[in-house]
Amino acid sequence: MLELNNINAFYGKVQSLWDLSLKVEEAEIVALVGANGAGKTTLLNTICGLMSPASGSVSFLGRRIDGLTPHSIVEMGLSHIPESGRVFPDMTVRENLEMGAYPYHAWKMKEETLKQVFQIFPRLEEREGQLARTLSGGEKQMLAMGRGLMSRPRLCMFDEPSYGLAPKLVLEVFRIVNSLREHGITVLLVEQNVRHTLEIADRAYVLENGRMVLEGSGAELLQSDYVKKAYLGL
Amino acid sequence: MVIEIIDIFLSGLLMGGIYALIAVGLSMQYGVARVLNVSHGEFIMLGAFFTWSLYTYCNINPLLTLVICGPVMLLIGFVLHKTLYRSIRISSGGGAAFEGNSMLASFGLLFVIQNMAILIWGASIKGYSYLAFPVNMGGVIFPANRLVTLLFAVIISVAFYLFLARTRLGKAIRAAAQDPDAAGLMGVNINQVLALCFGLGAMMAGLAGTLLSMSFRVQPTMGLEYTLIAIIVVVLGGLGSIPGSFIGGFILGLIGSIVSAIEPSLSLVAYYMLFMILLLVKPTGILGR
Ligand SMILES: Nc1ncnc2c1ncn2[C@@H]1O[C@H](COP(=O)(O)OP(=O)(O)OP(=O)(O)O)[C@@H](O)[C@H]1O
Ligand SMILES: [Mg+2]
Repeated sequence: MLELNNINAFYGKVQSLWDLSLKVEEAEIVALVGANGAGKTTLLNTICGLMSPASGSVSFLGRRIDGLTPHSIVEMGLSHIPESGRVFPDMTVRENLEMGAYPYHAWKMKEETLKQVFQIFPRLEEREGQLARTLSGGEKQMLAMGRGLMSRPRLCMFDEPSYGLAPKLVLEVFRIVNSLREHGITVLLVEQNVRHTLEIADRAYVLENGRMVLEGSGAELLQSDYVKKAYLGL
Repeated sequence: MVIEIIDIFLSGLLMGGIYALIAVGLSMQYGVARVLNVSHGEFIMLGAFFTWSLYTYCNINPLLTLVICGPVMLLIGFVLHKTLYRSIRISSGGGAAFEGNSMLASFGLLFVIQNMAILIWGASIKGYSYLAFPVNMGGVIFPANRLVTLLFAVIISVAFYLFLARTRLGKAIRAAAQDPDAAGLMGVNINQVLALCFGLGAMMAGLAGTLLSMSFRVQPTMGLEYTLIAIIVVVLGGLGSIPGSFIGGFILGLIGSIVSAIEPSLSLVAYYMLFMILLLVKPTGILGR
């Protein structure tokens, strides 16, 4: 469904991604883990069109998308929920969700999608009229996730959705991401919460200093000595 | 005494309506498109001359001209952003460098438009008389055209506010103002929206020009004063806040009319004083954060 081949990316003259390749098949949950500064956000930004790679290719549903602008990529059914959510602070919860349904195909069905999103995040329905700037950190993250689903995506990318949340909410976030399978949504998940992530992931990649160092099924990586030592503190 | 107060209050509102309109326009250009367009007043001047010409040579009703002037200015602003400001955005790589360079470019635009206007219409002051009959408002007499100006300024501002608050495109504009990258991720075509915002700003200026020409004289150098006023109002109302610009326009209009009732030559000075005090005390403006 999503395929990256030999991606190299730079910030100015500093190279941040080195010859990365990655694949996500339909209906999979694929995880990308790595330490701070490994290049996880950079990689997702390269996929969603906020950055373009210096070389290499990104294809989605068989079409090249590297070099396209973010708005045309989301129209194709690839939704990116950016790091720290980035909700629109001066819009209400409902307006934020409506913005998520901005692509025409989604706009036509937005009332229907809204009902489904409210089922997943009942809390958002209670706070429908509240300005996003006044939400708690956890609520903002829920709103960002709900907003990302409003475009009725085929594939969803999450950049550290559990960051800064209380343990109970962290579990809730993982439960929700896992449940997207039932809605037929494929997931590419970036996380620092390695154990939870590998438990729900079908496959995972480990990124270090901009290079892919390991790849395997979630269960395999949970057992691997390397991951145990570097990420699980065992 | 009472009549004097009503007089000051009403003249303040009448001027405030125009200020509100031009400030809302600049707010679109600076608050969203990030272009501090110092040639804003030139678009007001163009709107005014456009209306004067249509009235003088073709006998077209200024209120009808609103419907022509608005879309024409929108188109000019849109194309200008798509060409000039977009290439500056690409070459300066966005951010603070873009704000600086785009302001310099709009200085250039100021002189280009002003000189073009002098070539076309000449440097002399022009005017026409439309709906100039007096109307008695509680003992205070105003020419009807001033009241029509206020009415239309309010109608246009409210319509524009509803457009931003209620429509799909209006929401996209607000989203782009708050977080352009996130708006792009929602499916908003940012380049298109920025150009549209610049165009809408030019449209507001053009409409204000049309309304102004009904009761004030027009000349090619009239723009700068309005640009300065628009900048003051935008800061007063809070950068990027459309309701702030709207309310700020009326506040400045009222201050202007109170000060000029005391000493007419001091109104511009009072605006600057207000501007300085504001920058020192509450740089975020009345509705800004
Ligand atoms: N805008 C930028 N300009 C220059 N360098 C950047 C920029 N953004 C990120 N970098 C650098 O690129 C590298 C990768 O950053 P990135 O944000 O992708 O890491 P990450 O894996 O998402 O980390 P974290 O887990 O902390 O979010 C880092 O060394 C970072 O300093
Ligand atoms: Mg990151």
